Amino acid sequence: MTSGASITERAVCILSWVSALTVPAVLWTLMGFLLWRGAPGWSLALFFGDTAPLDALLRGAPVFDGLWPACLGTLELVGLAAGIAVPLGVASGVYLAEYASGRSRQVFSFCVDLLAGIPSILMGLFGFALILLLRRTVAPAANTGLLLSALCLSLLVLPYLISTTRLSIEGLPQELRLAGACLGLSHGQVVGRILLPAAMHGVFSGIILAVGRAAEDTAVILLTGVVANAGTPSSLTGKYEALPFHIYYLAAEHQSPAQLTQAFASALVLLCLTGLMFAAARLLHARLEKKWKTGTTS
Amino acid sequence: MRQMMKRVAACWAVPLACCSILTGSALAGELEAFAGLKGKIDIAGGTAHIPVMNDAAKRIMQANPGVRITVAAGGSGVGVQKVGEGLVDIGNTGRPLSDEEIAKYGLKSYAFAIDGVAAVVHPKNPVGNLTAAQVQEIFAGKITNWKAIGGRDAAIHLFTRDEASGTREVFWEKLLKKGTIVDSANVVASNGAMKSALAGDPDALGYVSIGHIDETIKAPTLDGVAPTQDNARSGKYPIVRKLYMNTKGEAQGLTGAFIKYILGPEGKQMTAAAGYLPL
Amino acid sequence: MTPPTNRLAERLLFCATAVSAVAVLAIFGFLLWFSLPVFHGDAVATLLSWQWRPLRGEFGILPMLAGSLCLSVSAMLLAYPLALGICCFVHGAGPARAARPLVTAVRFMTSVPTVVYGLVSVFLLVPLIRNAFSGSGFSWLAAGLVLAVLVIPTIVLVIDGQFRQVQNGIGLTGIALGLGPIQQLLRLTLPLSARGLGVAAALGFGRAIGDTLIPLMLAGNAARLPHSLLDPMRTLTSHIALVVATDSQSLAYGSLFACGVVLFLVSLLVNLALRGLRAGHD
Repeated sequence: MTSGASITERAVCILSWVSALTVPAVLWTLMGFLLWRGAPGWSLALFFGDTAPLDALLRGAPVFDGLWPACLGTLELVGLAAGIAVPLGVASGVYLAEYASGRSRQVFSFCVDLLAGIPSILMGLFGFALILLLRRTVAPAANTGLLLSALCLSLLVLPYLISTTRLSIEGLPQELRLAGACLGLSHGQVVGRILLPAAMHGVFSGIILAVGRAAEDTAVILLTGVVANAGTPSSLTGKYEALPFHIYYLAAEHQSPAQLTQAFASALVLLCLTGLMFAAARLLHARLEKKWKTGTTS
Repeated sequence: MRQMMKRVAACWAVPLACCSILTGSALAGELEAFAGLKGKIDIAGGTAHIPVMNDAAKRIMQANPGVRITVAAGGSGVGVQKVGEGLVDIGNTGRPLSDEEIAKYGLKSYAFAIDGVAAVVHPKNPVGNLTAAQVQEIFAGKITNWKAIGGRDAAIHLFTRDEASGTREVFWEKLLKKGTIVDSANVVASNGAMKSALAGDPDALGYVSIGHIDETIKAPTLDGVAPTQDNARSGKYPIVRKLYMNTKGEAQGLTGAFIKYILGPEGKQMTAAAGYLPL
Repeated sequence: MTPPTNRLAERLLFCATAVSAVAVLAIFGFLLWFSLPVFHGDAVATLLSWQWRPLRGEFGILPMLAGSLCLSVSAMLLAYPLALGICCFVHGAGPARAARPLVTAVRFMTSVPTVVYGLVSVFLLVPLIRNAFSGSGFSWLAAGLVLAVLVIPTIVLVIDGQFRQVQNGIGLTGIALGLGPIQQLLRLTLPLSARGLGVAAALGFGRAIGDTLIPLMLAGNAARLPHSLLDPMRTLTSHIALVVATDSQSLAYGSLFACGVVLFLVSLLVNLALRGLRAGHD
């Protein structure tokens, strides 16, 4: 063994340790600072302002100076965007990995890579331009709102879903395919019954990435209908509030230290929300993986 | 300075607040204009307007659940563009509309408050007075150290607003006399953002709407005149502007009722409470 | 030969895939269409200058283009080695017990919102930079550091997935060859993961150059080329967010869509380069 190689090895070792220590340290600093500044702002009033919480929850009483409308807005937004993007993304991933061939595969995978490279603000700009065009042509009443934001957000997360689905299917061992063929399964059955379940791990990591991205993106919704004060979302075409924008808005517009504390507390809420989604997806993923494993061994 | 401002606000707020307690029916009467009205009002634009708009939206929506009011920021440019394109019902600006804008979109303006724009610094900054010429030279990049104007030996961190800002336009026209703003200045997107940036930086210089000045930032006197709403009203402080709500064509129905409400006594009270001089 | 349900399924899958292609074309079409007013005659010369002074009719976007490139390249220079280091740590260079929590932590970072990074950095990192060095703290440095943290999970997840796949296939081979964990990483896993490494770099760069909020909140937004790491700067993305406010028929508005076209072309170039890289590798 040459000494050059061992120096490289030592460098890799050092780099690994430095990275493995630095990155979590940054993460913990972030969380610590957030907790320190945001925790004093945690209370029911943070969510419901001066409205009675039960009134807001059960009777839909309007909430002001509280996070409730923004929480609902973000949940609906993410739900809608995922509803559009997940089926499309997983289907495209499967198609690219298993069905597309030759030229169409090349063209489509290039388009997906390209879509992945398109900055979120351009999706917002696209949505905004789309509304301007619609208003001038077929639908003069079209306006920016929840549905438009969800549509633009789904475009944003689509490539993440596609490429992770595709990579995880393509990376499966060849034996799985052979086993399927030996059992006399058609290609469609191999994909649906064997490959897709086996690749669930990767597919779910893609969905996690996508859901997290959709919940936190501010640039897209900035141009497509989010506002600082709208109440709970009333319709698909109406304007709405969203947590990330609320934080961005308060970070810039806070009029008092109390409002700044509210910004940090809101950030903590958003982090808990995305963290919970993350945990739920992980749990689901662990169950599916276990199920698949027991299925194959028995 | 802050006390003066508070006093101005108090002049309006205290008697009106008393009114609201003693003769609640009179003010409920104002909100009664919305009774039976249904629908939504979308508002966007000027960042100085937002406290007033939010306050009004809250009161109207609490009294009349059938009405929905949304409030977005963005700056005066957004206000003009969105109301012109019909994307919102009311577009707020912190500057008068240009003839071109009025002609192109057929906009109608409703002024509801007077506000000043002041050069501001961190409260710990020892500089207590600036001349207009000094401010011009600083923004042109000719003076770059606080020492040159009686401060400590430190570089001046310059903050300005984006081109869509009505506050920037007024400051640039009336104080900088349309002079240069050096391109190395930090750019922030709203009055609030300017305030929070300056509050954290002991060597910063920027400008905000007078309504936004509080204990976290300090406004040095300009040529010896304190930038307060009192001085703005009397004309002693020259860098003043009006705050406008703009609609496409004459304001009607719900939008009309909203504008009438802002211009009415209760609207005046909210405007004063936000630190502006109601018209 | 193929059963009809299978053919139907394939058609549906094809349609789903076509959505991405249509979306890409539609976005590019819109950007181009709305930026047409600035793509003729003198307007192009104005566009490709170093001065952004809309009130004087100067709409140069070069400072923003250079700013975007500087910022994302510097962020990637920091993030990529760190991400690669984490993947090496997880796949052999570090203790196996620490690997799982580390990956979980990094996965968790994907769910940390950009705006949270922005908020914390404005009140933690910016004052630190202002006090430790000079300037207002809103700078290339601040935005670059935070942007690096932002793109690390994207890179790590892709590389980690690739490493896992490769090691599933060759783990035993490596042990049979008598390679230690780090040797196995260097000799087998890394060379065999070239494709995933490239994909990770492309996705990471795309995320870095496309992020709006971090530069908007942290970089100071001065529309000129920064002379040092401590100078404020403006990226194409934050430029769009700031300027979208102006009136929708003026040249400023057109120049904003031109920024969009430029951003689109940059990502097109990155993808083409990546494609060439892959073709060469195969």
